[in-house]
Amino acid sequence: MPFQQGSARTRQRTVLLVGIAVLLAALVLAVVLASLLTRREQEDGPKMLKWKDRGTTKNLQEVILGRCYNYVMARYPEVGDKDCLKIWDSLKHAFIYKNPCNITSEDYQPLMELASHPIPCNKSLFWSKTNDLVHRYTKSNQNFLTLEDTLLGYMADRVSWCGDPSAPGINYESCPKRSECESNPGSVFWKMASKMFAEAACGVVQVMLNGSVEAGAFGSSSIFGSIEIFNLNPDKVSEVHIWLMHDIGGPQSESCSGHSIKRLKNILEARNFKITCEDNYRPVQLLQCVHNPDHTDCRICTDT
Amino acid sequence: KWKGEGTTLNLESIVIGRCYDYIRIVNPAVGEKNCLEIWEAFKNAFIDKDPCSVLPKDYELFINLSFHTIPPNKSLFWENNRLLVNSFADRGHRYMSLADTLFGYMTDFLNWCGQANSTGLDYESCPTTEECENNPVESFWRIASITYAQHSSGVIHVLLNGSAVGGAYPVPGFFADYEIPNLQKAKVSEIVIWVVDDIEGPDRDSCGTNTVEILQNRLKNLGFDVTCADNYESVMFLLCLD
Repeated sequence: MPFQQGSARTRQRTVLLVGIAVLLAALVLAVVLASLLTRREQEDGPKMLKWKDRGTTKNLQEVILGRCYNYVMARYPEVGDKDCLKIWDSLKHAFIYKNPCNITSEDYQPLMELASHPIPCNKSLFWSKTNDLVHRYTKSNQNFLTLEDTLLGYMADRVSWCGDPSAPGINYESCPKRSECESNPGSVFWKMASKMFAEAACGVVQVMLNGSVEAGAFGSSSIFGSIEIFNLNPDKVSEVHIWLMHDIGGPQSESCSGHSIKRLKNILEARNFKITCEDNYRPVQLLQCVHNPDHTDCRICTDT
Repeated sequence: KWKGEGTTLNLESIVIGRCYDYIRIVNPAVGEKNCLEIWEAFKNAFIDKDPCSVLPKDYELFINLSFHTIPPNKSLFWENNRLLVNSFADRGHRYMSLADTLFGYMTDFLNWCGQANSTGLDYESCPTTEECENNPVESFWRIASITYAQHSSGVIHVLLNGSAVGGAYPVPGFFADYEIPNLQKAKVSEIVIWVVDDIEGPDRDSCGTNTVEILQNRLKNLGFDVTCADNYESVMFLLCLD
């Protein structure tokens, strides 16, 4: 019927017009969005600084928090009540939005205070150039504590972080190496933590050094040689026991009578510490031999 | 209410933190994993349930999400020598024990259970295996051990404690009941048993004697190529004799 035909054609036309209108609107929207986005990119301003070392560990917050709770609840419950959220916050604020070459010990002061805990006497174990071996030892013999076995060291071990003045304030791409600037978040952290670890030591302390290193077992540029030995408190620490370990089948570059050990002894004696030194401290060598049982170095007792 | 310890405090933060720790730092080779999804799957295995009715298969989704291959020749089974195994495995560099896999790493040393008609974790107490076998932790380690054994290949190492009271190869035990039955003969080329004494500990068991002999015979009867070494033991003895 004529009336219905007419309305059908009108409907078709309306649909067409609506369709065109929608298309036009979409086009306009697209143009507006595109211009906004490009403008935002330009407004983003300075990009993050680029450095030579690896960037902040991804999911840093979850890792640090988890480690903190893990340490306090499951690992060393004697550490007592620690507010892990506050601890994470204090770490974050030490470096976020800051230029990573301008970090100071003041930046870390709140974190150090929140996370530090007393160390039982006679248990402090220092180390230099024996990273793998010393930590394998403390994992199997929980009578000794390295810095990485304290809450602060445990949280930060093998993790990296640094900030940047531009948003979001944390640089996940790269962080400065020590050679680029010394006052970077990692270096400042470990220097401070090492100083405090040494200050907290009491009674007999131990240090595991590497007698297979060409440059010498004791180096005055190492953290042990430049920070820790000078922050041991002679009123609290009575003796320093040196364990000089050689790699199984490795060179015997130095022994307890060696040059760098003499230097270390002089420094410590001048500060009134009693010193002993043992080549290849047996329990640690045991651990080395477990992985090299057939080596002749591991048969030294057969002749006795 | 129950005789065992309650759920570890801050369980969620610890488990999620360990998950990220593993994929970012400990073993990034396993690639990207969705740690939040993995936590949800873990929790759903036991939350809102009677803690005596949690079965190993309740953890199947968790295992699937957190699974990664175990490199051949790196599997390390053990009994009664956790500290030594930790240093032996060297954080997964030398060997990959169950606790060095993602699913073992997230839960090692932790305790957990829920309760019926409540979405909360029970921090007061959890059932021991003596009270009921199908408790959340026991069921977890059963399926974890089964999975670990099923996916082990190449040369398999077993570290036993020659100083352990009751023998180096305990029966019942996880190795005896859940791991040995799930080793795949087609994938396993050899089983090497090491009997190691506690540092300055007594020598109660060694290759070819007592429980170790029982283990050796069982594995041989199952068709595995078996060797056993006491070398480490004698080295330790020699070094320990002052």
